Amino acid sequence: NTDIHKHRQTERQTQTQTDRQTDRQTDIHNHRQTDTNTNRQKDKLAVSLDALPLNEIPAAPELTEEDARDLDALCLAKSHFELKEYDRAAYFLRGCRSQKAYFLYMYSRYLSGEKKKDDETVDSLGPLEKGQVRNEALRELRVELSKKHSAGELDGFALYLYGVVLRKLDLLKEAVEIFVAATHALPLHWGSWLELCNLITNIEMLKSLSLPECWVRDFFMAHMFTELQMIKEALQKYQSLMEAGFAKSTYIISQIAVAYHNIRDIDQALYLFNELREQDPFRIENMDTFSNLLYVRSMKPELSYLAHNLVEIDKYRVETCCVIGNYYSLRSQHEKAALYFQRALKLNPRCLGAWTLMGHEYMEMKNTSAAIQAYRHAIEVNKRDYRAWYGLGQTYEILKMPFYSLYYYRKAHHLRPNDSRMLVALGECYEKLSQQVEAKKCYWRAYSVGDVERMALLKLAKLHEQLNESDDAAQCYIIYIQDIFSCGEQLEHAEVSTALRYLGQYYFKNKLYDEASLCAQRCCDYNDAREEGKALLRQISAVREQGEPSSTDLSLACVFNPLINTTTPVRRASPLDLSSVTP
Amino acid sequence: MASVHESLYFNPMMTNGVVHANVFSIKDWVTPYKIAVLSLLYEMSTTKPMALLDRRRLNKLILPIQQGPDLTLEQFLKIVEECCLRMVNAVKLRLFLMADGELQDMEHFFTMLPNAFSDSEAFKTSVVGLFMRQMLLAYNKLSFSQVYKLYKSLQQYCRRGNQPELSAEDMELTSNEDPRMDINTRGPLSQKQAEYFLARQAYLLKNDENKAMSPAKLQDELNNILKFNPDFAEAHYLSYLNSMRVQDIYISTHSLLHYFDRLILSGGEGKSNGDEGYGRSLRYAVLNLATLHCRFGHYQQADLALQESIRIAQEANDHVCLQHCLSWLYTLEQMKGSDSVVLTEDSVKIAAHFCLPYLASLGIQSLVQQGAKQGMPANKLLDALRGTDIMHWKQSLSELIEISLAQTTSIWRMYGKSTMARQQAQLLLNMNSLEPVNFGVQQNNTEAFAVTLCHLAELHAEQGLYAVVSDIMKHLKQQFPPHTQHAKLWMLCDLKIQFEKAMNDGKYHLADPHVTAISALNSTEGLYRKAQLLKALNQTTKASKILKQLQQRCEKSKNTEMIIRMMLASAELHWDSATGFATAVPLLLQALALSRQHNLQSLTSETLLHLAFTQLMLGIPEQALVLVQDVLESVLAHGSLIDKGRALLLAARCHMALAGAAAQEHRLTAVELAVHTLDEAAVYFSQLDCKERMRDIHYLQARLHHSLGNISQRNKCAMLFRLLDQELPSSGMTVVNRL
Repeated sequence: NTDIHKHRQTERQTQTQTDRQTDRQTDIHNHRQTDTNTNRQKDKLAVSLDALPLNEIPAAPELTEEDARDLDALCLAKSHFELKEYDRAAYFLRGCRSQKAYFLYMYSRYLSGEKKKDDETVDSLGPLEKGQVRNEALRELRVELSKKHSAGELDGFALYLYGVVLRKLDLLKEAVEIFVAATHALPLHWGSWLELCNLITNIEMLKSLSLPECWVRDFFMAHMFTELQMIKEALQKYQSLMEAGFAKSTYIISQIAVAYHNIRDIDQALYLFNELREQDPFRIENMDTFSNLLYVRSMKPELSYLAHNLVEIDKYRVETCCVIGNYYSLRSQHEKAALYFQRALKLNPRCLGAWTLMGHEYMEMKNTSAAIQAYRHAIEVNKRDYRAWYGLGQTYEILKMPFYSLYYYRKAHHLRPNDSRMLVALGECYEKLSQQVEAKKCYWRAYSVGDVERMALLKLAKLHEQLNESDDAAQCYIIYIQDIFSCGEQLEHAEVSTALRYLGQYYFKNKLYDEASLCAQRCCDYNDAREEGKALLRQISAVREQGEPSSTDLSLACVFNPLINTTTPVRRASPLDLSSVTP
Repeated sequence: MASVHESLYFNPMMTNGVVHANVFSIKDWVTPYKIAVLSLLYEMSTTKPMALLDRRRLNKLILPIQQGPDLTLEQFLKIVEECCLRMVNAVKLRLFLMADGELQDMEHFFTMLPNAFSDSEAFKTSVVGLFMRQMLLAYNKLSFSQVYKLYKSLQQYCRRGNQPELSAEDMELTSNEDPRMDINTRGPLSQKQAEYFLARQAYLLKNDENKAMSPAKLQDELNNILKFNPDFAEAHYLSYLNSMRVQDIYISTHSLLHYFDRLILSGGEGKSNGDEGYGRSLRYAVLNLATLHCRFGHYQQADLALQESIRIAQEANDHVCLQHCLSWLYTLEQMKGSDSVVLTEDSVKIAAHFCLPYLASLGIQSLVQQGAKQGMPANKLLDALRGTDIMHWKQSLSELIEISLAQTTSIWRMYGKSTMARQQAQLLLNMNSLEPVNFGVQQNNTEAFAVTLCHLAELHAEQGLYAVVSDIMKHLKQQFPPHTQHAKLWMLCDLKIQFEKAMNDGKYHLADPHVTAISALNSTEGLYRKAQLLKALNQTTKASKILKQLQQRCEKSKNTEMIIRMMLASAELHWDSATGFATAVPLLLQALALSRQHNLQSLTSETLLHLAFTQLMLGIPEQALVLVQDVLESVLAHGSLIDKGRALLLAARCHMALAGAAAQEHRLTAVELAVHTLDEAAVYFSQLDCKERMRDIHYLQARLHHSLGNISQRNKCAMLFRLLDQELPSSGMTVVNRL
């Protein structure tokens, strides 16, 4: 008995500590943690705030009569609960009256059902039956909870549990209502917010809910905006939260970094992740996203450092496996990469990113059928995963089925209407199907939404070239060259020489010799176009010697007619601009 | 951030990143229901003396019980009870003994089960034996906890229904939670059962849509299967077929592609020839996509997909796939309305070369159809059809037999031989189905039947048997409900009949809405009907404008029948104008040449009647009479009631015109002949209840009787004329100006 008493003492102490850490605004009367994420979240936020002076630390909540009576049973049950002996915990709590004990009682029963369900799944008789293993406890729990709910006896945590039960029973509408009620009852319980977030599918639904006015709500909204791909709004929210005093929160930094990753602002995201690693060196969450960024930028040493570091921290984490997979993939060891992604999937089969990445690896290994399968799995986990749709499209394109892949690219484009990569892919498919009109539209649109890879214009120009629409082609090349130079970077694939060569010939044909010679001179800067540039220069000088008048009458306006008859303002540039830019 | 509550569901069947649904090749496993079936089998084999009738009934029961979805105990016992009362008690006793006893009883049952059969031949070879051995194997494979679970569920199975677990209020709460529960009470489907279910539904969709589940319900079932086993690719294909029924392009495309994404994998693994199977399904995937676009009328998309499929098939040297592509290519060309005879001929040749009888005869049938439209000699067409028929019967290709018969019906009808058409139609309708789904029952639910029934309805409508027509229509509506794919056929047919009826009755205001409805289903037909209606309403300019439009369209699509009809209609329009009759003649001669060239007998005789009428109006009744008498025979034999009446009326008018010019003695006989002919015509018109024509006839008769001096007869006719004249609105059309 004394032993239990002692245990209780220490337990109280830790509990008050957590209470203090939580927040000055809370009056959370603490149940034991319901959700590891929630508690961690809370603590993390607390750490990010300035420390409180001792006298302002809120006092521990009062114990009620019932709490006191149930305390022993509760402690015992808690120990059992932590040892994952859920049935045992529930048994010792069966007579308890207090809210805290009641929640733990129900929660143990719920988890016991879930655990048995998982065990059954492995043991089930056949593949079709596997999905039909159900958590048998759910229905009973629902009946009891709904009785209590209608009597108004549920507190915030129990409401949360009720919501979870309803969601598991696929009663989504009711579940949303209950979760909203739970957030009202206990706004600081992040678990309810997270569950709510999983149930909200679009912005209209989000707006229609009446949520409690509390600072947690801002976190929730920001999270929701990220989920709904409304990155700009999300970033605004996070910014204002940081200004409100959460500047040191690693959670917010990581979320912002992920948001930047989503809109492919790689530099910003990388910067933030590096900062995050400095502040929280043993963090594993979100590191897979970080590794994706490093992969995209081919930063081998950084990626390898990250991988080694993470393995030291914990090698049996999904994120770690993904990072290692990326590492191997960057080193072109695709079998090993696939192996690590598989390991990640074994750790968590619902890990979306790993399915897609594994698909990419199989693609690299030319195992198209396995790649298709992996992508399909990714789509099954999340229908809105545009990468998997895009990957499927690519796979079929490799199999020389451009028409077939159109469907997949269209799906991907539908999910990311402003992503130029899908548009370029669509354009390429149309080009292969000799649907030039559609292809042109795609390329032009890709350029208009901001071309990431800067390939759209070049492709458009080549298409025009093929169709003998020389004016349009020249126009495209001009914009392309300006684009390449203005971004200032050296791109590996840049085909500036091709563009210059074409422009030189084009001006020459149109008898604009000054411009033509300028282009030809620029051509000489590139190895592959040097000879042609020189030849063109010779031609020009030959023509000039013959004394043909330089055709000044050919007005620029007629050459540079609008690229495509749209109302979109085209950036016009006189060819002389070229002299001002330095390659 | 995965929630803690997500069950960490580990898939043991995943190797190399790929999920094999059947890695243990478990297709079936033991459930309480299976135990019930086993105990029934056991009892059947141990009870030796049994009434022959009872045994026969039970034997018939075994297969459906074995293959169907799991039933509840009450359902199962009820089915058995209907066959044999004694057996029910024995089975019940055995089951309850097991459930109320302990686990050992169940184990005992499984150990003694093979003893009862081991000596019989059935155990080794029959379906029942296979089932039994499968069950035994599955049972022996079970682990300790699985056996215990099985026993638990057996106990639950036996007690369900007589032991309410929850109070009434709680029941209310739990009952609304899951609308699928009533389906689910049947228990999960095993792989075998699911396969059987899919195969059955797919088969029904093809052969008798009405017997299959309703689209919504079927989709529910499929979603259910897919939810529990996303790897069950065949369900996606059925989902594709199902959404095609309701014309849902979104879901059908999605399901089709999903199916092939899955299949590509299993094909690659399953086939011994490795890569071959994988590439093959790719080719067929694109081909299927092409057919999908084809069915939704996206011809350009279909064309692109088809080209792609042809390209891949060519690269892989897959002649069979290429052949399929070719047959779709000519179908596509046909659908687009361009000439595809050459393609089709090629297709038939190659199909015959690669021994693909189905494709070859489909090609021949398609050729026959095109040939009939282009006026190929009838004997060649029918010969070709007969040739393929022999092969169909040899290979029992019942689907093609049906199509062939329906095609013959259509061809005879087009040629205007109503008796032959009727006979062929009856042949098809009375044919016993070869498909087991409707074995013994005569009806299938295919397009061929719909076409034939429509022809039959129109043929009856021509003879004025409207009661029969409405019966046929009722049947069609029942067999092909409006949402099904062949419903358009009878809708158009129904509208046409109603339009004709309204026109005959002179109720033009009724005909007007029909025209709109017809245009919705078939725009060319709609134009023609509109022109007819406008002509009847004396709006000649509008009518001729529409006819011009129709002409352009028909010349593009080479629809000969419609061209001739259009010519006849414009000739009729010419009659109304001042110098019309002379200008109508060349048009009619052109129509005559065309209809003779295409063997369209009914149209030929109609054209001849028009020509005769023109001649009569131009004042050469002798010539007209000769023409009419030539044609009269075939009209009376094959024509519709209204044609018969019109022909006789025309003949009578020719007689009258001749009588005016003839000598006295001839004149009397000629007039009497005319009266007689008019009487005959009156019979036909009265059958159709065609009042305007009746009025004309009474008028003519009254005039004739007057000239003959039969005063009483004359007065009677005059009275009848007056009655009808008052009843009908005065139309601008005079008796003279109409055929």
